[in-house]
This record gives sequence, structure tokens and C-alpha cells, in this order.
Amino acid sequence: MMAVASIRSVFAGRTFAQIGLVWLAFVALAAIFSPLIAPFDPYEIDPIARLTEPGWPHLFGTDHFGRDSFSRALYGARMTVLIGLGAVIVALLTGGLVGMLSAYFTRLGHVLMRGVDVLMAFPALLMALVLMTLLERSVMNTIIVIGVVYATTTARILFGMTLKLKGEVFVDAAVCSGAGHASILFRHILPNLVSPLLVQASFIFAFAQLQAAALDFLGLGLPPEVPSWGNMLSEERIYVTRAPWLLIFPGALIILSVFSMNLVGDAMRDSIDPRFKDDIAGV
Amino acid sequence: MLFYTIKRLLALIPTLLAATMLVFLFVHLIPGDPASILLGDTATPEEVAALTRELGLDEPLWTQYLIWLGNVLQGDLGTSVFFGTPVLTVIADGAETSILLATMTMVWIVLFGVPIGIVSAMNKGRWIDQITSGGAMLFASIPTFWLGLYLILLFAVGLGWLPSSGFPSLTDTGGVTNLRYLILPSLTLAAPNAALIIRLVRASMLDVSREDHVRTARAKGLRPSRVAIRHIFRNALISVTAAFGFTFAALVSEAVVTETVFSLPGIGRLVVQSILRRDYPVIQGVILVIVVLYMFINLLVDLAYARLDPRISLK
Amino acid sequence: MTITSWLKTATAAGAFLAIAGAAQAEGVLRYATVGEPPTLDQQVVTSDLATTIAQHVFEGLYTFDSSNSPVPLLAAGETISEDGKTITIALREGVKFHNGQDMTSADVVASLKRWGEFGSRGGLLFEHVESVEATGDHEIRITLSAPFGPWKNLMAFLNGGPAIYPASIVEGAGKEPLSPENYIGTGPYSFNAWEANRYVELVRFDDYVSPEGEADGYGGERVAEFDALRFIPVPDVGTRVSGLRAGDYDYAESIPGDLFAELEGDPNVNTILNGGPLFGLVFMNSSAGPLAENYALRRAIQQAIDKVPALQIAIGPEGLWRSNGSFLPEGNVWYTEAGTEAFSQGDAEGARAAAEAAGYTGEPIKFMVSTNYPFHYDTAIVYTKQLAQAGFNIDLQVYDWATLIEKRSQPDQWDMFFTHHGFVPDPILISVMNDNYPGWWATPEKAELKAAFTASSDPAERVDIWSQIQELIYEQVPTMKTGDVYTYNIASPELDGLGEATLIWPHFWNVSK
Repeated sequence: MMAVASIRSVFAGRTFAQIGLVWLAFVALAAIFSPLIAPFDPYEIDPIARLTEPGWPHLFGTDHFGRDSFSRALYGARMTVLIGLGAVIVALLTGGLVGMLSAYFTRLGHVLMRGVDVLMAFPALLMALVLMTLLERSVMNTIIVIGVVYATTTARILFGMTLKLKGEVFVDAAVCSGAGHASILFRHILPNLVSPLLVQASFIFAFAQLQAAALDFLGLGLPPEVPSWGNMLSEERIYVTRAPWLLIFPGALIILSVFSMNLVGDAMRDSIDPRFKDDIAGV
Repeated sequence: MLFYTIKRLLALIPTLLAATMLVFLFVHLIPGDPASILLGDTATPEEVAALTRELGLDEPLWTQYLIWLGNVLQGDLGTSVFFGTPVLTVIADGAETSILLATMTMVWIVLFGVPIGIVSAMNKGRWIDQITSGGAMLFASIPTFWLGLYLILLFAVGLGWLPSSGFPSLTDTGGVTNLRYLILPSLTLAAPNAALIIRLVRASMLDVSREDHVRTARAKGLRPSRVAIRHIFRNALISVTAAFGFTFAALVSEAVVTETVFSLPGIGRLVVQSILRRDYPVIQGVILVIVVLYMFINLLVDLAYARLDPRISLK
Repeated sequence: MTITSWLKTATAAGAFLAIAGAAQAEGVLRYATVGEPPTLDQQVVTSDLATTIAQHVFEGLYTFDSSNSPVPLLAAGETISEDGKTITIALREGVKFHNGQDMTSADVVASLKRWGEFGSRGGLLFEHVESVEATGDHEIRITLSAPFGPWKNLMAFLNGGPAIYPASIVEGAGKEPLSPENYIGTGPYSFNAWEANRYVELVRFDDYVSPEGEADGYGGERVAEFDALRFIPVPDVGTRVSGLRAGDYDYAESIPGDLFAELEGDPNVNTILNGGPLFGLVFMNSSAGPLAENYALRRAIQQAIDKVPALQIAIGPEGLWRSNGSFLPEGNVWYTEAGTEAFSQGDAEGARAAAEAAGYTGEPIKFMVSTNYPFHYDTAIVYTKQLAQAGFNIDLQVYDWATLIEKRSQPDQWDMFFTHHGFVPDPILISVMNDNYPGWWATPEKAELKAAFTASSDPAERVDIWSQIQELIYEQVPTMKTGDVYTYNIASPELDGLGEATLIWPHFWNVSK
């Protein structure tokens, strides 16, 4: 009940963010139930029905393989959630841990944060490009590469926030009461970082979609057959005048979802501890 | 201040060294080899092996690295496997486009971003604030290649106002007027990046307006708009400068997609093409140059910061 | 500055912009290419893009007319001895290189020798060559160990072929491509600049001496009408199309079939079909893995596939592809239906039984394809589905082209890979005829037929032997043809003299704007 109440207070009076939240809920539902809702197999090829206009039974038309775009869009929601969550988990687990440990154990931090500095100097997209060429095109690798790209910024942010908390009275109190390092880090410090982390996660989720689409466009993202919105755009982009619906639907889906995620993140940012506000990047 | 600068410069060395090692390792782990790509379909394995030897690609990795590093320290980034010309020349050719593109993008960002940021801070919480912040965020949510595609269709193919793609150098026929080739790409690139600046300008104006000297100015009875422009903006500039620095560095490298869509001969497209061609020296060179650029901008921003706000260098 | 003066300045600047834009490209042809060629050195490179550019700079002794027959270019004519082993070629006199020197037999001999030793396709001819010597300032003699039928076709095919360079440049040159400062030929355009990432520029060669006679294919008179030709890399196909539509390029290559109808209806665009079709090839590994030696299994794979749906999806409109099993297209002298009943059966059940009989038990078959060419990828996706329906366990491996090239040279890495082949005027030039080409098809049956094929110089006999070779290809399936693809390019309607179709590579002498 408390969670519901706090969500209410975060989104109170923010009409746009509320709409965004509703849209994201739709995306999540589509992702979960896509096999049940999708009228066609998203991989089913039909040479006779290629490039058909939107209508019945192909709500979003068909692509140049004759695959049903609506079904692919539904499965694309699944990829959106998978890539977003995957990138968030990779970034928070690796970057977050490095950042927290570095701030807590100063000596270790000296070494680790230097490493983070080195990685920060690599331009994000270039690093992703090189890594993707090095690995193979797959869903897993795309998630890892995008996650790693955002791990560095996450490490920086968590480093800063943990450092601020370390000097707080309640941490000193915990130390005095004989708590171990793990207990201080994860039971006393981490809980205070949950809401700023959520904000950071929402921005990573949003950016990951755009990064994934950019990689797809450059031919270095998900395997081209995988139904994702980025793939639908980049695989069919030559049909922009011949079959405009192939670019309009997935394009609108990406924009709406990224926009919604940004709105939600923005609303949450305004409600977190003011000490941490400046630490979090994003739009 | 001088001591601080030297200290910061020295600190760059190990970071740079680690970065070069990483670049070298990554690039050489990529499967595929330049020799067989250069020689094409009909080359025999012996011929490929011979060219590989000639290119020095058969040495152990760490030997190759040391040789490369030694050359880099003497200002020689090596020779492009594909073009056969010095990497530095290839990069310099691309740099013209990239720097002009980033600069023009910056101009749009400042032209649109700063006034919008100020207006939205002055109207905090009102509808105009909501519309501008929301609009900026919407632009930041559009995939760049999608936006670029439609801009080309509308302004180049449909209306015929602007060229669709390519960029003849400023020294080419047409001279400065060739900048018109960069209008659409720079707008495409500015769209997502303006949002960050708008938010920053807005946030720093709000922060600064809470500070004491602004309150004093208000108390003295100065008109609110004067207070806003003179005091708030000048101080807000400090933190915004920093953001500009980073944005500029990011623009040079994040332009990969834009340069591909608009077929611009910049550094971003050079990297993508070089990866496809496995032109190791060029990939290494470009990434190295961008990393160095990024670090120096980082440093300059910090130094500018320290100068504008003396409290920092005391830390 | 007052508002009016500001307006005036702006208007003036606008007018200037417009003029500068219009004046920029009067005598310049702007050609949007798919990328940058690896080199222009024709002797060693087989890239079609390289030849498209380089044919304006370099010339060979022979070239092809519009019926794909070899005709003299730098040669004036030839005589062949009774026994067919001695060929004496007279050279045209007064031909100048771009460096001002006259072309003599010394240049031709040096060029042929380097090509014979290091050229991509030189070995095909020079296996049979005993000597090449100058017998006069403008005459050379080639002595063969045995009569060799396709010599003239090989000499006329510029791609990986015997371009004539000055002796001073080509003597001492090896396998490594010549560097740009040495791009000196005899063509109607000379090499001017290669701006990495930007363009390759050729300029008119004022001292060009054209062959005589009416222009016919690549033969006959050549007139350089443009001041310069600019080949601009525009890798993204969408950008090539919209760039041409917007008037930023005069010519753009390699356009997707699906846009054909739309572009043909556009008054601002002319479509130009390429005469010779290219064709997809799925090579099978003859050296290692489950497919090596197992011809029955390979035939079962071919049996499972219906080539038509793949062509419909990958290419699009009916007119741009043909489900043709002959390696050379209908109408060509080399056209034959030998073996082609196996070309496209789409018989999943029959294939399943045949595979079982061949001892196939569902082990994975690694099929490599690249995404750099959308038609490769699209076709491979369709085949994989069809093969799965016939019970084959296909492991589709998607790489970029550079990785695929690396992997295919290692026999243990793959079982099938997808590539395509350009149109060639003589079947001896098809890659599967080369024993060293990845796939490594070198069976005794092949060797026997190939020897007979090259030894004969009787056209009718050679056509007959070729049909036997094609039949063998359908029996041993070293490679699987996917059908003919008629590619097309697009041009600005302002270009005059392009003709209806391109022979092999688009050329721009006798073309003006």
C-alpha cells in the first residue's frame, strides 16, 4: 500500500507522465502476452503477401518477406522490455557494484575508478560498435554491450552518492554498533539509494532502446531476423516511399516508448532526495 | 593554478596508456583479416600469408602494440591498410567534416537550447515550462536515423531546398556555401542533444536563483528580468560551459549514424567503414584521437571551472 | 544593421547559394557508388566497383562489343599460326599513356608478364603460355604450349585482367596493388585524385587516341565528354536513391528491385538495366564436414529448395529475376539446359528421403551468410526455412562480409556459404572452375573435363564440353545456383548517351550531360 501511495504522490499532477506510465503498461502487457495476442507467426514468410498495405488481417501491413508487421511489433515489445531490463541489470550490477565498493573502500576505489575513467574516455557508440564486431550479433551480446556502455556512468553516479552517504551519522552509528562491511553497504547504504537508482534505471532503459536501434541501423545489433522495433525500421528503411507504413508504425512505437520512459524518469527524479538530484544524468 | 594544471596533465598519462592498450586489444580481437579482404576472392592462401607478413600482422600482438605505441609517440599513427596513405592524413580529411558538423550542431543547440532553457526556468511550473521540457524530451526520444530519413525526404527530395547528402570540402568549388550540405545533418544531431542543454540551463538558473546574491539583488529592488539575465545567467554559464565541452566531444563520435544517413565523409563514417574493411590502423587511430580529444576537453573544462570558481582548485 | 539592409544581404546570400549550387557540376559526372574500391589496379583486383571506375583509365588489348564478343582495343589485329600455338598481335600506333609516353610493345610485354604471374585471372591463361615477346615496336608474339580456346576472352575481360601499364611502372611490381600515383593508363580519362572517404576523381585525357569505328558495347570510338568523373561513396542505399532524386548525383548504382516500379514512374529518374545478370551461389564444402564427398546429400539439399519464393522475396518484381538453372543466361552462346532439371524442385519429402538414404542423421549443417548484401541474407532465410521443412538441421551463421571471407578460407568452419557472381563472358572465369576457390572442388571428373575445355579452340566443341561441366555441377553440387538477378542502376534524365542497358559495368565515355 505504501508503494502505491508513493507512486501516486510522484505522478500527482503530471498528466504527461501518467499517460506515459499507462503506455508503458501496455508495452509490458504486449510483451508478456504477445504469443497469445499476435494473429500471425512473426517469422512466417509469405512471398505472395509481401508489402501489403495496412488493413485486415494485416493491421500494420506486411514487410518485404511478407511477414505480418503487427505481430512483429507485438513481439518487438518483448525485445524492447528484454533489452531495456537487460541493459539496466548489466549496468546496475557491474557499474553499481564498482561505484559503491570504490566509494566505500577508498584504496580499491582509487584503482577501480581509474579503470572507469579509462572506459569513460571511450565514446559510447564507438565502443559498442567495436565490441559488437568483436562478438557476434545476438540478443545477449547486444544487451551486454549496451549495459557495459552505461555501466561506466552508473559507476560514477553511485560512487558520488555512496561517498555522500558514507559521511552520514547513521553510517557512523552502524560502524560503532559493530556492523560488518557487507551489512553497512547493503543494509544501511543501499536502501537509501534505491529511489535514485530507479531513476537512473529508467533513463538507461530509455537510452538503451535508442542505442539498440542505432546498432541495428549500422548492421551491428540484434540478428536481423529477430522482431524488434529497431530491426523493423532498419531492415525496411529502403521502403520509406514504397511502403511508408513499414517505417511509421515501428518509428512511432519507439518514440512513444522512449518518450514515456523519459517522462516517468523525469517525474521520479523530481521526487527523490535533493542531495542526489544532480548526480543523475538523463534527459 | 599552474601546479594544478601540471598535476592534472601528468594524471592523464596512465589513463591514456591503458586506453591505448584497450583500443589495440579490442581492434585486434575482431575476426577477419585485412590481407584477404585486400586481395579479394581469387587470392591463394600463400598470397594472403605473404601480404600479412608484409603488413606486419604476423608478429605477436604485444610486439605489434609496442611498435605501434613507439610510432604513435613520434607522431606516426601508421599507414591505412586500405588506402595506403598515412592514418593521420585520412583522419585529418575526416576531421574537417566532423568538426564543422559538431560546431554547426552546437550553434543550433545554443541558439535554441539556451533561450528555451531560460524561458522555462523563468516560468517554472507554468504551462510554457511544461511544453518546452516535454518538447525537448520528445525530440530526445526520436531515433536519429529515422529523423534524418524524413528530413531528407521532406527538404531535399520533396521541397528541393537543401542538398540530400554528401559534403564537398570548404576548399572545393562552392566554398563556404558548401556549409548548406551540413544544415540537415546538424539539425538531426541537434534534436536529441538540445534537451540536455535545455535541462541544464534551466536547472542551473533555478539553483543559482536560490543563492544569496540573487536574493540580495532582488531585495535591492532590481527588476526581475534584469536579475535573471545579469546575475543568474552569468553564474549559470559556469556549469553550462562544462556541459558544452562534453557535448561537443560526444557529438564528434556520436555522429556515426548521422554521417551514415547523410553520407558525410566524417570520422564517424570512417570508423564504420574501417571496421567493415578491417583497416586496423585507421580504427586504432580514430579511437585514439577521439579518446585524447575527450580527455583534453575534460581537462579544459575542469580548468575553466577552477578558474571561474576558485573554490575548486583548493580541493 | 537595419532590417531592410539585413534582408538585402540575406537575399544576396541566398542567390549566391543558388548560383554556386547550380554552377558546381556542369562538366562533372557525379556517380554514387556502394563504397570505395580496394584499388584501381585492374590486374590484381576483381571488384566490380574497381572496374567500373578503372575502365575509364586503363585499357586492355581487347574488349567486348555489345554481343560479348572480343574486339581489338589497344590491339590492331592478330594472326594465329596453323597449329594454334603462336599468336602474333599487332598494336595500334600513336597511343599515348597519361604520362605522355607512347605505348609500345615493351609496355605490353611487361604488363602481360606481371599479369601472368601475379594477376587475379592471369594464371588461367599463363598456364598455357610458354613465352611472350616483342617482335617489333608495335608487335608482340605469344607462344602457347597447346592451343587455348578462351585466350581472347581472358584478354578482353578487364576485371582482374591484363590492363596495359607503362613498362617503367609494371616492371618489378608484384601481387600487391599499384599505388595511386602509378595509375597511368591509356584511357579517355586519367586518374586525378583519390580523396579517402570522399571520392575518386578522373579527368579528361586530352591526348587520348580513340580506336576507330562506331561505338558498339565497349568497342569502337570513345569520346570523353565530361571534364571530370567523380565516384562518390554513398554506402547507404536509401541515401543513393534520395540523393539522385534530389539531384545531388547523376548516377547511382545497385538499387533494390522493389523500388523499380516506383523509380521507373518517376520523371526525374531513368532506370538502366544491367545486361548480364548476376547470380547467387551457395558453395558447399568439398574439403571437410558432412557435405564433403557426399554428393547424394548435396543433391538432396538442392532437391529441397524451391528457388522462386526466395527470388520473389529477395529481388521483388518478376522482370528483374529469372529462375534459370543455366550458369549463363538464355540468349548467350553458353546457355545450356544440361542438368538444370535439378535446379529448383522444392520437393521437401523427396529430399528428406534422399537425405536419409545418403546417411544424413540430422547433424547440424553450418550455413554462412553475410548481411552486407541484403539479397544474400533474404535468400538464405528462405532456404533455411525450406531446408528445415525437409528435415535438415541448418545452423544459419550471420556475419559481416569481412568475417565471412575469413571464415570461408578455413575448411573446418563451415559447410555452406552464400556469395554471388557477376556476369562473365566465358565460363572459364566462373569461380567454381578455380580449384583453389573456397569449397575446393577438384574432383578427377572435373579435372578431366576442364582440361578438354581449355584445350579446345573450336567454339562448338567448347560449348558442348561446357554443357557436360554444368551437368557435372548438378551431379556433384560443388555450388548451387540461386537464379539470375538483373540489377539496375538509376540515372538523371539529363544524361545523354547511356543507352538502354549496361553491358557489364556502366561506362561514361560517349555520355554527356
